[in-house]
Amino acid sequence: MMHCTMDDLLALRAGEGSAWARSHAAACATCRAELDALYQRVAQLKALPARRSARDRWPAVREAVVAERRRRRERWGVWSVGAAAAVAGLLVFHPFGIRQADAAELARVKQESATLEQQLGRYEPDARVMSGRAAALAAALEDRIAVIDGELAQLGPAQAQGRPADLVTLWQQRVELMEQLVSVHVTRAAYVGL
Amino acid sequence: MTISLAVPDILVARAKSGDLEALEALYRAFETPVYNLAFRMLRSPEDAEDVLQETFLEVVRSIKQYRAEGHLWGWIRQIAASKALMRIRRNQVRATDELHEEAAAGPGGSGIPARIDLERAFERLSETSRAVVWLHDVEGYTHEEIAEQMGKTVSFSKSQLARAHARLRGMLDDEGAAR
Repeated sequence: MMHCTMDDLLALRAGEGSAWARSHAAACATCRAELDALYQRVAQLKALPARRSARDRWPAVREAVVAERRRRRERWGVWSVGAAAAVAGLLVFHPFGIRQADAAELARVKQESATLEQQLGRYEPDARVMSGRAAALAAALEDRIAVIDGELAQLGPAQAQGRPADLVTLWQQRVELMEQLVSVHVTRAAYVGL
Repeated sequence: MTISLAVPDILVARAKSGDLEALEALYRAFETPVYNLAFRMLRSPEDAEDVLQETFLEVVRSIKQYRAEGHLWGWIRQIAASKALMRIRRNQVRATDELHEEAAAGPGGSGIPARIDLERAFERLSETSRAVVWLHDVEGYTHEEIAEQMGKTVSFSKSQLARAHARLRGMLDDEGAAR
């Protein structure tokens, strides 16, 4: 007598068995027992105890995340220096392309931005523990700074010459956000005594 | 293992904003199911720990793209299964499945509860068979989903499952007879 194969039994379990397999399993005690055993095996597999990691891998994950964020911020810093150099070039080679007032304000805000970057770098915020609220605030500020950096990157020297006020406004916004970011880290550092 | 993990939306929102405390809370919530999935598929604690770490690095990098469609565990599990399957493919470059199966086989003990017998028999399956059985029978993946994740056909997934169950049945019969 031909019995159900394992393929037949698995198909029956999945509700996809052939007409022959269904009728045979209904009539054959051996195949019904095999099907029951299959159900039991699967139930036992599902009931196996959960294995737990012997080591905590979160510190390694956290370290990698912090390092990635630090590299990202360093890239911003490098870009800021590049942007400042481009602005300096504009001022040197196109002394009348930007109004003196804009040029002076631009020089002031880019210097302020560089100072804040240095100040933040000295705190090494990525290497310190933060409260959840402070971390969320810092991440939101970093995202907004990244958006402004992107806009500055799109505003190349040619466009910047034609829109000096836009350039100054973007740098002012960047400085404001950097001040808030430094404030978040410094306030947190003062609060927890780091 | 039954997973009934519910994560508050506010925690997911905080994690998406990059909050390290929230990300650690997610890690703590899903650490064991991810490790268990990887361990059952790979059998090696070291490999399972590596998959755990790789999975959460991916979770941290990609959580902004998570759109809350379906359970968070389903999304994380997809990443974990993918990482474990990648490791299986790498391992297969070094050794064939058949050799692995033979090397893993050993004499059965006596007086061991049925659950342990099944666990031991399951561990003797090849990595590919273990992956298919675990994903299909325990995690509830369809053959289509397994085939897609493994880069194989639906027929491959079905035949692996049938072959694995035939082997499990044979090994459990042998252990029963030896007792």
